Amino acid sequence: MSNAFTISDEQQDYSQYDLNANPFPYSPVPNENPEIYCGQQHVSDKISSTVSSMLATGKSKHLVVTGKYGNGKSHTLKYTRSLLRDREDVVVGYVAQPGDGFLDIYHEFVYDLGFNRIQELAYEYLASVTRDVTDTNPMGAESMESLIDEGDVLLSDIVPEAIRRLSDVTKFADFARAIVHMVYEDTNLYAWQWLTAEGIRYEQRKEMEIHSALDDDTMGVRAFTAFKNMLLDLGYTGVFVFVDEFESIARLTPKNEQATLNSIRHLMDQNSSGLCILFGCAPEVWQDVMSEYHAFSERIGQEVSLRPLTSEHLYELVENYLDKERPSTVESRIRPFTEESLDLILQRSQGNVRQVLALCSRILDDAANENRQEITVDFVEEAI
Amino acid sequence: MLYRRRKLDLPHGKVQTPVLFPVRNIGKRSSDNTPAYVGTIPDFSTAMINARSIRNREPMWNRLTNGVTLREEMDVPEDTIVFADSGGFDFTAEEIDTTPAETLDTQAQLGADIYGTVDVPLSRENRAAENQRRIDQSVEYALEASDRHTGDALLFASVHGYDPETIRNSIQHLEKNGDFDGYALGSMVPIRTDYKKVTKLVLSARQATDKHLHVYGLGGIVYQPLLLYLGVDSFDSSAFIRSAGNRNYLIPGFGGEPLRNIESLDRLPCPCPVCGQRELDEIREDRTALTKHNLWALAIELRRFRYVVEAGRDVEEYLDLRFQGNEVTRRAYETAKQQVRRLT
Repeated sequence: MSNAFTISDEQQDYSQYDLNANPFPYSPVPNENPEIYCGQQHVSDKISSTVSSMLATGKSKHLVVTGKYGNGKSHTLKYTRSLLRDREDVVVGYVAQPGDGFLDIYHEFVYDLGFNRIQELAYEYLASVTRDVTDTNPMGAESMESLIDEGDVLLSDIVPEAIRRLSDVTKFADFARAIVHMVYEDTNLYAWQWLTAEGIRYEQRKEMEIHSALDDDTMGVRAFTAFKNMLLDLGYTGVFVFVDEFESIARLTPKNEQATLNSIRHLMDQNSSGLCILFGCAPEVWQDVMSEYHAFSERIGQEVSLRPLTSEHLYELVENYLDKERPSTVESRIRPFTEESLDLILQRSQGNVRQVLALCSRILDDAANENRQEITVDFVEEAI
Repeated sequence: MLYRRRKLDLPHGKVQTPVLFPVRNIGKRSSDNTPAYVGTIPDFSTAMINARSIRNREPMWNRLTNGVTLREEMDVPEDTIVFADSGGFDFTAEEIDTTPAETLDTQAQLGADIYGTVDVPLSRENRAAENQRRIDQSVEYALEASDRHTGDALLFASVHGYDPETIRNSIQHLEKNGDFDGYALGSMVPIRTDYKKVTKLVLSARQATDKHLHVYGLGGIVYQPLLLYLGVDSFDSSAFIRSAGNRNYLIPGFGGEPLRNIESLDRLPCPCPVCGQRELDEIREDRTALTKHNLWALAIELRRFRYVVEAGRDVEEYLDLRFQGNEVTRRAYETAKQQVRRLT
């Protein structure tokens, strides 16, 4: 039997660096809920301004964040999303990449919100109707669910009215029925599948009295608009959509690319309020979109670029990461790195955040393995 | 398993549940085609009648309001337990021509032991909004009946819905706002071939209340063991009459068999008082005999289930065997089994 591998779950000891663990990711992909965001003040200013305008005025506003691969577009979008998610007056959805068309964007958006959130919104809508047509006063999804379970309100009293109102608000009766069916255990999975545009059989649609299939971009735009209008009717300020890796539309055929951009344009046109879309896109693709699809790019109007890291940004970034695993304060906050070693890492990675983090992670492990007190330029050169 | 045994103390006597209320056609036709069974089949001292039909058959109603008792009219002993429903099933297609007050008066005049509240049944063909309206209307009627009901007879609220939430919600609402001795689940007949759905709905009603649960119209030979397993306390059925009309021979454990498929047999497989001494030809010629046998078959089905429980045998094993012959009912039973196991 060969002993070529030594596999162990023993933790590496980083105490000599006043660290509990290696804080850098081994595989530098953005966290779902990033805690650290540093540098790129112009980007955070621009995003803050876009998002704040929408929150303050309710008017739709959109932004494209460009940057080369690994410069932090996804991280930026996810960090913004994590900040917005804490607010109760907005709904936030993340689309990892636009797929083959707008219907895929819509699908990913609804999926990101999740079954439970959509069901919660259905209960919230029933609650708003219940407040108007009964003497009870449910203030949210949970209290509405409890009123139904306890029999304090009669479903047959409120459901027809909820469907009628929601149809009026959304101008999409099928959407209204699908939302209301989210509260019925027999049909909520069908309703969910229809709402996510996954497609359901005719018999399943018939059971919910849904006549149309949600299976093309036009219907996707209609459903998205209906969803947003429902939210506004519920008192939400708006919807935030984060569309990452937007550059992947370049791999679509020109016809499909145009159709996708047109659908997004239609979505923007139909939603002059309550909608904020933030795109993450590679600069070269965005340049092409700008030059070839004016009608689309003009509606976004704003672009902000992520730049390669500077030395100061890098020191701050490394400090922030090290602080995550630092039980106490230390004299040099970038220890065991030195400014010189970090400058070399920056130079080798050409300021690319992903590469910086990958290098820092690997070099810190190597240093710990070799029991080095400090990560010097020489050591970095050796390690790289 | 949710099967349960209880005792109902009613104006005309006591009755052990679970129990079947055989449907009496009295009032529905010019002559009642339900054969006499009370006193012959000891399990069934019960009957389900349609209060509206009787009231609407003028000569009979006149007799009943002039001193003849319902039991005399039905030619059954005075201690026969009678469940009078409102006749709501007729409102599936017809306009409602009664009120909760009028129905209660009729039920009282008939000396019924159990009153079913006025209801407007649903249909899968209806638009959802129409069914919602009917559910609402039935709940409203039930609450009105609860306000007006006096006396010793039990009042069962008729409940409708084609989804578990609606059933649970309606029962909870009625429980909070009315005073009922039990609940009677309706609108099941139009969806009876969708065993899975019916099973879910019955179970949702069973979960919603510990009170007596009756299921309208589903006491046939296939449904009976399923309903017993789901903890239903009573059910009614006219399947024994309808099957006989179609020359269908009910066999416990097997379901219905058209007599034409077995005409080469001399004797039938059931040793009940109807079949035991007669040849098949005789029974085929005599529809009343066939109807009586079919009712015996329902009694045997009920006895068997009770036996399995009392003998401490594995009910689920019995039902596994009982339903293995039919893929549709087997799947429905498997679904019910999973749901019941989660609850017990």
